[in-house]
Amino acid sequence: MKRVFCSSNLKVGFAGAFFLSIALSLISCTSKKNNLANELRIASANLKGLDPVATGDETSSNVIALLYDTLFQYQYLKRPLTIEPNLADGMPQVSKDGLVHTIKIKKGIFFSDDASFSGGKGRELVSQDFVYSWKRLCDPRLASEGFWLFDGKVEGLDDWRKAVQKDGKNFDAPVPGFQTPDSSTIVIKLSRPFYQLHNILAMVYTAPVPKEAVDKYGKEMVNHAVGTGPFRLESWTRNSQISLVKNPHYHGVYPSVGDTGDAEKGRLAMAGQKIPFVDRLIFYEIVEDQPIWLKFLKGDTDITAIPKDNFDAAIKNKDVAPDLAAKGVKLDRAPGYDLTYTSFNMLDPLFKNNVNLRYAVAQAQDTKTTIEKFQNGRGIEAQSIIPPELESYDPNFKNARLEFKVEKAKEYLAIAGYPGGKGLPELEYMVTNSSTARQGAELFQTDLGRLGIKVKISAVSWPQFLERLRDRKFQVTGAAWVADYPDAENFLALLYSKNASPGPNNSNFSNPEFDKLFEQAARTPPGPARNALYQKMRDISAEQLPIIPSTHREGYSLYHGWVTNYKANSVIVDRFKYVQIDVPKRTQLKEKL
Amino acid sequence: MLKYVLKRLLYMIPILLGVTLITFLLFNVVGGDPALQAAGRYATPEQVQLVKAELGLDRGLPAQYLFFVKQIVSFDFGRSWSTKQTISKMIMDGVGASLSLTIPAFFLTVFLSISIALLIAYFRGTFVDRAIFVICLAAISLSSLVYILYMQYYFSFQLGLFPISGWSPDWLERWEYLTLPIFIFVSISLGGSVIFYRTIFMDEIFQDYVRTARAKGLSHTAVLFKHILRNALIPIITIVVIEMPALILGSLLLESYFGIPGLGGMIFQALQSADFPVIKAMTFISAFLYMIFQLISDVLYVVVDPKVQLK
Repeated sequence: MKRVFCSSNLKVGFAGAFFLSIALSLISCTSKKNNLANELRIASANLKGLDPVATGDETSSNVIALLYDTLFQYQYLKRPLTIEPNLADGMPQVSKDGLVHTIKIKKGIFFSDDASFSGGKGRELVSQDFVYSWKRLCDPRLASEGFWLFDGKVEGLDDWRKAVQKDGKNFDAPVPGFQTPDSSTIVIKLSRPFYQLHNILAMVYTAPVPKEAVDKYGKEMVNHAVGTGPFRLESWTRNSQISLVKNPHYHGVYPSVGDTGDAEKGRLAMAGQKIPFVDRLIFYEIVEDQPIWLKFLKGDTDITAIPKDNFDAAIKNKDVAPDLAAKGVKLDRAPGYDLTYTSFNMLDPLFKNNVNLRYAVAQAQDTKTTIEKFQNGRGIEAQSIIPPELESYDPNFKNARLEFKVEKAKEYLAIAGYPGGKGLPELEYMVTNSSTARQGAELFQTDLGRLGIKVKISAVSWPQFLERLRDRKFQVTGAAWVADYPDAENFLALLYSKNASPGPNNSNFSNPEFDKLFEQAARTPPGPARNALYQKMRDISAEQLPIIPSTHREGYSLYHGWVTNYKANSVIVDRFKYVQIDVPKRTQLKEKL
Repeated sequence: MLKYVLKRLLYMIPILLGVTLITFLLFNVVGGDPALQAAGRYATPEQVQLVKAELGLDRGLPAQYLFFVKQIVSFDFGRSWSTKQTISKMIMDGVGASLSLTIPAFFLTVFLSISIALLIAYFRGTFVDRAIFVICLAAISLSSLVYILYMQYYFSFQLGLFPISGWSPDWLERWEYLTLPIFIFVSISLGGSVIFYRTIFMDEIFQDYVRTARAKGLSHTAVLFKHILRNALIPIITIVVIEMPALILGSLLLESYFGIPGLGGMIFQALQSADFPVIKAMTFISAFLYMIFQLISDVLYVVVDPKVQLK
């Protein structure tokens, strides 16, 4: 019997060795092949879809921005971010009252080849494609999350939406505010001045999509990409990887203007050259931190964000750890254009009429610990609602009421009528039921516990969280806001009363003076006068504290020594089109990994 | 037996209707307004109303329930709120990936654990028995996450024997990515399985028929393979068949860590993003699979043991 087992085990052993050798030889061939390819490989979260109007998440936008193109874009290297033409042939002509924007589009730009076109050949982009795509964005039947971009701003849009809602056939009816006098001109007529229009026309929601493709694929546009972008869709295995190939006819060129230090870092060496530089771009959809990190360390991906648990191994003294630096790994730091904050429900009588209670809560918050424990030190303490890098940001502005001072907080609590927390009912802090959100809530509980304030943590599911925000049934919660475009208006809108829930003003703050300034700023063209208005609104929010600004996060990206031209920025979603790979250097440096 | 199978299939109908009703009530009544989630965070009341109409949520609850039942019958669960993809397609895409990991891994585990358990049974009471038993106990005390984290780190990253993660739609090429996850699956499951099968074999070894067979002069090998193994088939079949739905539904952790686009990862994402249509579909499918495989298991009892009668 022993012989039987031995023989059987030997067979299994031989078979195992055989399959293992095949597997190993396959791996070895694949890795050698991969090293020689002019490919850029990135790990990303799971992608939802490819239709510009149907998906609004960051991951999808990053991919869509490479397949489609927008009228405007941000200069890749220059800071602060400056808008420039992309598909537009120059910056728009704007009427004196700011209501009419005339935009010329570039000629000779073609959609990628697709079966939806006659003969399968992509046709030339025309102005009507933009209007068609914007109507899709505003189509009530599609319920796009990006509709807010045009909501209440374009002449005749509301009436058109009502007509479409009544009968879908009215989709083809014209929107008075979107006009195309010829195939290369677009005229946008606004119902009120909106100086961020050019910013929203740089967002992927507004990218032109050909009608032929929508007619052919319908709702399946989420799985197709027929754009004019720097890359074309090669293949997509959902929840695994998406592969894009270079569009050889792309119109874009590498920028010639940079910011301080860009030339020294070699970022201007390719000025004026046609982009993209890489033949293929692969996004690996990976959800867990360990494989993301190991793939980068192994050189299987070229650029990565740093997972929270690997931060200490990757970064020392805000720079790349020496062992990684020796392997050629480099760090790029970029502002997150965001704000994390604590939001009071200003409809709750407890907070509505008691600014001193809000001050007490603000001064009890240990923001430094939040940055260290929750953000690995990747952030700065916020002084106001306006994040750095925006034109109206003032680095010298300090709000003393946001300083972590427990004694001062106790004083405010006493003035508020609750000395030592006596008489104050238990506060309810609402969070989603993720572990990080709960930990944040526990820190809030600890901070307020120092004042004698009791806090009950109410952890709810995401739909319940949304429902309670919408119904204005919460007391205090934590939130974050990431810029849609680099303009302080995008943050100040969080406190405009007409944006109260279900809009983004979840604190339901209502202040006539703030509203008046917000509306005045909307009518004011960019410049010092508008910045002054923004700063006045900032001062009101600092005085009233309907939300307690907590942190502005900072993005850290690592990239290998064979990657050139990389400059991180969360607003520039199509940034990978500028990146170059030094293939021989990759082969050489990968030996060290 | 045909009568029994038909009867069981008929019994399944009210149970499945019960499952659909509970699932429907949980997601459409108790769990808040699904339209709010589907419409997006900042949707106006008008937009929410439009989404309700689009999803059929503006109808009465009985009509909504009937619509849900119709979706199940036609295997058309609509579209995911999160990805806007067709749920049926998401399931069909994911099931192949999940099965290509779980089926070979599971049957390899069964084969190895039965072989090892037979070996232990043969050497029962000796050092070999005790040593393997202790190793198995140690193996099951470790969290599966430990296996995944360390094996991925050691075999893929340190030794470079396997890709860290990845996938290929091509059936031949995907084995490059599946080898390590399968090995980890087997490592995680082996300890528990060996102990389970050892217990079964030990139970059989002390049965009267074994003593009789030995008294008749049959060799240990013949007793072990011809008699004990055959009589142990019923619990083996039970465990194999009952595991099938779980295999179809994939392995959440392995899929997530190795980038395998299977159903486990899909369910996890749906839960994370509160994607109710996907969760509803998968809840029903899970219940259905468990019932079907329970029935298959009962039928197989008759095949392996003619003494069993289904009534």
